Amino acid sequence: MAKAKHPILVLAGAEQGDLRALEDYRRAGGYASLEKARKLGPGATLEQIKQAAVRGRGGAGFQMGQKASFLPSPGQAKSPIYLVVNADESEPGAFKDREIINRVPHRLIEGIQIAALAIGAERCFVYIRGEYLSEYEVLSAALAEAEAAKLVSVPILVHRGAGAYICGEETALLESLEGKRGQPRSKPPFPALVGLYNSPTLINNVETIATVPKVIELGGEAYAKIGVKDSTGTRVFSLSGDVVRGGNYELPHGTSFRELIYDCGGGIAAGRKLKAIIPGGSSSPVLPADQVDLSMDFDSVQKAGSFLGSASVIVIDERACMVQLALRIGQFYMNESCGKCTPCREGTRWIEMILRKIEQGRASHAELDLLADVCDRVLGKCLCALGDSDAMAVASYVKHFRAEFEAHIEQGGCPYGDTSSLAGVRSPVDEIYRGRIGQEAAL
Amino acid sequence: MSAPELVGGSAADRERIAHELVTVTIDGRQVQVPKGTGLVEAAAAAGVEIPVFCYEPRVGAGIGACRMCLVEIEGMPKLQTGCTTPVTDGMVVHTAGTSEQAAAGQSATMEFLLLNHPLDCPVCDKGGECALQDLSFRYGSGKTRMTFRKRSLEKPIPISPTIALDRERCIMCFRCTRFSQEVAQDEELSAVNRGALSMIATFEDEPYRGPFSGNVTELCPVGALTSTQYRFKARPWEYEQAASVCGLCPVGCNVAVQSREGRVQRVLSRNHPEVDRGWLCDKGRFSYSHLYSEERILTPRRRGVRELEELGWEQALDELEGMIERAQGEVVLALSGSETLELAYALAKIVRQGAGSDRVVLPEQAADALDPFRVPISALAEAEEIVVFEECPVLDRAPLIELWLKQARRNGAHVTRIGPSGDIQRGRGEAALACQELAEKESALGKRLRAAERAILLWSGGGGAGGCHLAALAHALGLHEKEGSGALLLPASPNARGVAEAWAAAGDENRQPRQIGLLVVSGDEAASEPQVRQLAEHARATVALTLFAGDSGEWADLVLPATGYLERSGTMRNLEGRLQRLRGATGSPARRELSWLAELAGRLGVDLPGSEAALFTELSAKVLDGISLASLGDRAPLPPRVEAQTFEAARAESPPTLLGGPLELIRYRALFSGPEVEHVPELSFQRPAAEVEISPEDADRRGISGGNEVVVRSNGTRVTLRARINAALLPGMVRVAAEHCAELARGVEVSRP
Ligand SMILES: Cc1cc2nc3c(=O)[nH]c(=O)nc-3n(C[C@H](O)[C@H](O)[C@H](O)COP(=O)(O)O)c2cc1C
Ligand code: SF4
Ligand code: SF4
Ligand code: SF4
Ligand code: FES
Repeated sequence: MAKAKHPILVLAGAEQGDLRALEDYRRAGGYASLEKARKLGPGATLEQIKQAAVRGRGGAGFQMGQKASFLPSPGQAKSPIYLVVNADESEPGAFKDREIINRVPHRLIEGIQIAALAIGAERCFVYIRGEYLSEYEVLSAALAEAEAAKLVSVPILVHRGAGAYICGEETALLESLEGKRGQPRSKPPFPALVGLYNSPTLINNVETIATVPKVIELGGEAYAKIGVKDSTGTRVFSLSGDVVRGGNYELPHGTSFRELIYDCGGGIAAGRKLKAIIPGGSSSPVLPADQVDLSMDFDSVQKAGSFLGSASVIVIDERACMVQLALRIGQFYMNESCGKCTPCREGTRWIEMILRKIEQGRASHAELDLLADVCDRVLGKCLCALGDSDAMAVASYVKHFRAEFEAHIEQGGCPYGDTSSLAGVRSPVDEIYRGRIGQEAAL
Repeated sequence: MSAPELVGGSAADRERIAHELVTVTIDGRQVQVPKGTGLVEAAAAAGVEIPVFCYEPRVGAGIGACRMCLVEIEGMPKLQTGCTTPVTDGMVVHTAGTSEQAAAGQSATMEFLLLNHPLDCPVCDKGGECALQDLSFRYGSGKTRMTFRKRSLEKPIPISPTIALDRERCIMCFRCTRFSQEVAQDEELSAVNRGALSMIATFEDEPYRGPFSGNVTELCPVGALTSTQYRFKARPWEYEQAASVCGLCPVGCNVAVQSREGRVQRVLSRNHPEVDRGWLCDKGRFSYSHLYSEERILTPRRRGVRELEELGWEQALDELEGMIERAQGEVVLALSGSETLELAYALAKIVRQGAGSDRVVLPEQAADALDPFRVPISALAEAEEIVVFEECPVLDRAPLIELWLKQARRNGAHVTRIGPSGDIQRGRGEAALACQELAEKESALGKRLRAAERAILLWSGGGGAGGCHLAALAHALGLHEKEGSGALLLPASPNARGVAEAWAAAGDENRQPRQIGLLVVSGDEAASEPQVRQLAEHARATVALTLFAGDSGEWADLVLPATGYLERSGTMRNLEGRLQRLRGATGSPARRELSWLAELAGRLGVDLPGSEAALFTELSAKVLDGISLASLGDRAPLPPRVEAQTFEAARAESPPTLLGGPLELIRYRALFSGPEVEHVPELSFQRPAAEVEISPEDADRRGISGGNEVVVRSNGTRVTLRARINAALLPGMVRVAAEHCAELARGVEVSRP
């Protein structure tokens, strides 16, 4: 981790070692915010969160305080209010929630208790990605300790997912939590009014909730001064890809990609050149290398045509074939489409088939235009953001690296031969789809 | 974020909201609709079509899956789905007709839906009535840009003996799965896999056994779920269609009977919103093929030296005329309760006016005691409290009522079942006592019923004294004074009430012969009743009018071929008291009863018109207050409630002492039984198993475990059945389907062989 000239908030105290034990967390000042919030009471606590202007860390970047204020007040609600924490973290490139749970599980628990108090929740649920078994165990152990110490006044249930990316989408998560097939619901009504078991529900990402104790500790106004306007506070950036020191780095919003990649991450090995940056997980449109000095905050990245999303930064160097990369991403979304709505179910598969044909050098120029058009026909027509993600991401590769796509068509194959850094890299998706759809296509 | 105001709220809230009007503009046309109306409905009211695939309000609120209904709404950046959007005041909407963006959305959806859709139209049963075909024709591009091989899957897959699934044709609209999960609540159909590999399946490929499964074949907008009976039989434009009513149970679901070349090809729902809401049970939907069973008798038969021998109609009528003469007024008529009013009336006239006897065996006691508490069946969906006196499962007697009860529960009603395996366990014959208890002031459930704005009582079982016990309770609870409250009796036969009325209309004398010179048995159900069979043993001569000669063939001297309910025209009175019209499908392989009855009447000097309409006019003048056939229309109205009189509670009889054994046998007619179902091979998988249901206590005491082969015996009758432990069953009772009961008496003993 880089030397902390920046404030460390979410991962504070864990610089020297994990804060899994309650005792250690307490020594680092843990659970003082919860006590403070109890004194403040629900109204004032929520007010602090609003003042801090914390934007959601799960992807969409909606302000937490504002979302919480859509909930009915506990007195008005006809049914119990629930708090749900999204720990499904399944986006390629994202691994920050995992770090938070592993290293500061009590900060999440404390955040849950404060948020539950602020909104008057009767029960809290943590929906954790099924593959995060050891994280589940760490969190469960911490929870047991906190319960034994009578720190948990609003009960928390930790539920393990079963391996579907779509269950990270908030309404699909609710369906899954209710024991149904994980598929998104149509919105409105939004979960704040009709959520889990049709009750008002606040859903936030692990990191968003883990930010809350520091908001209370510092005070909303002071917190809002960290970072930049409209992107307050710090962010745990998951840095991966062609970079020397991948890992999680907590930095204030407004830090540039260059600082993250070169100062924290040690740059790219062997002096290779940066080719592109995926700024916010696989779902965010790719940025060309010339954007490296861009500020990492919600609005700047959006202005540049992408999203900060889950702040999962993937570095791509000059060895990568962008067609292969687009195909890899297309395969992921095809495989993870839940199948509920037509444009995504059919479109993600069509996109993947065209991409594969281009990558194999069998496609025509017309098919490249078709690819762009299919992306356009998926975009904005789907039930949830998954279909859009695929369409936007794939379209961004065509837009910024069209020459590489054309080269595949003209040369009848990959211009990189097998020197591309992606050549031969296989993923679980390959195993599933090469099997099934490959067979089909071969028929 | 705005919340639709439709969520929750009391009925009063809903009513208030419904009366508040909002103004919306759709494609430039302004309409006023009640607040909370869906956009698809509001557009329809404005004369604008928003095409849909997945939207089907009967299976629940819109889910926004197919994306066919995309529209542009001013003030919203993205396209919205019409099926999930309730209109708000001042909303300005542009559908694909006027918005380029919406048109692009719709055309994208069309293209994606057709991407992998097989080119099956020429061989697909849905062709001609397929939503995908119709909407492609209107909104599709006519050209495909798909150059890859289409997804191909194994097909068709039988998901039950009655339904085939073609997964290539499925557009994943989730109508079928929502029906299974939300409406039928059998949870047997679901989607498996993700994304482009998603498909509809049953759990571990078990057959779809839910008794309402056939509805998915009508819900499916494409040819993915089709009926195996109907496969490749005909095209929708080749049909003649009769707007009729199902005659297999006292619900009387409205059906469309479609035939081609004189044969019924299928039975579809005709949606009477107060009766069936467009659903049918599988018995009603799939039974039609019994008409073409090889075992059906089509010509008269007479008992010969060894077996029944065929004879012509002229001879048969000579024979029957002779039998009536020889009986010298000692004639008994046994009715099934499956006859139309007209047929029962014609038979009654022959017996009462032609043969000079006034003795009848009616299928069950039916009376008008509940007419002051009449409610449409659909009122169940809105009720707060429902009490079912359920000696016989509602599902077996009146299957659709069970669907309405599910809907009621989903809408928040308390449903309390009182019976041998109910929420409140009461033995057989104790329902009348339970009624008396509820009528008492201190009864907690009675209090809830009194307090409820809308409470409904149902009686499903025998011994109801024609509804008198229930009427007394309903009166005590004041249900006649509350709209939406009421009481209904579920009879065992489809037209019990109607045949009693018809009998009464045919004469007013009361000559009761002491002996039986001639027993006239109408219908296969009556022919299979043990009681009727006993009468036959005492009768000097018997004649039976039946579809099949299975039962009647054993003892009748003359068997005359009957027609099936799908071939008959006339009227029936259902369990609500609603008089509904049957319209016979074209053609019947057997001669119409009314034609030869009129001929016989002529010989006997009875004035009997040969047409249903003329018979109805006669009946109407005598017992139906002069109403006209036309006033019944295609979807018959419910007659108004009659004024409540004061009720003497009928005395509750104490249950009879058991003879033959210590356990009381509940002999029930299972849903999938009866002469029609028994002749439909595709339904044989639904027939009741040869088993005896026994309570865990009684089983333990006898060392019986589930699945054991056991002997059920009484008075010398022994039946070997498989034991099924039913934890909900009251100790002391056992249940066996009628067809496996043989001659067992009411008291039985069960033991290991
Ligand atoms: C396909 C899809 C997957 C998502 N996966 C996650 C996830 O794994 N974790 C997460 O926190 N949010 C995920 N989201 C975003 C959630 O829907 C939701 O916006 C978020 O949990 C809200 O929390 P926040 O406001 O604290 O960010 C996903 C969204 C989509 C459309
Ligand atoms: S966009 Fe994709 S993931 Fe989202 S609901 Fe539609 S099919 Fe499911
Ligand atoms: S089988 Fe028919 S009803 Fe079921 S999802 Fe497919 S298209 Fe829809
Ligand atoms: S519920 Fe009764 S009337 Fe309706 S289809 Fe079934 S048998 Fe016929
Ligand atoms: S009809 Fe609206 S999405 Fe299917």
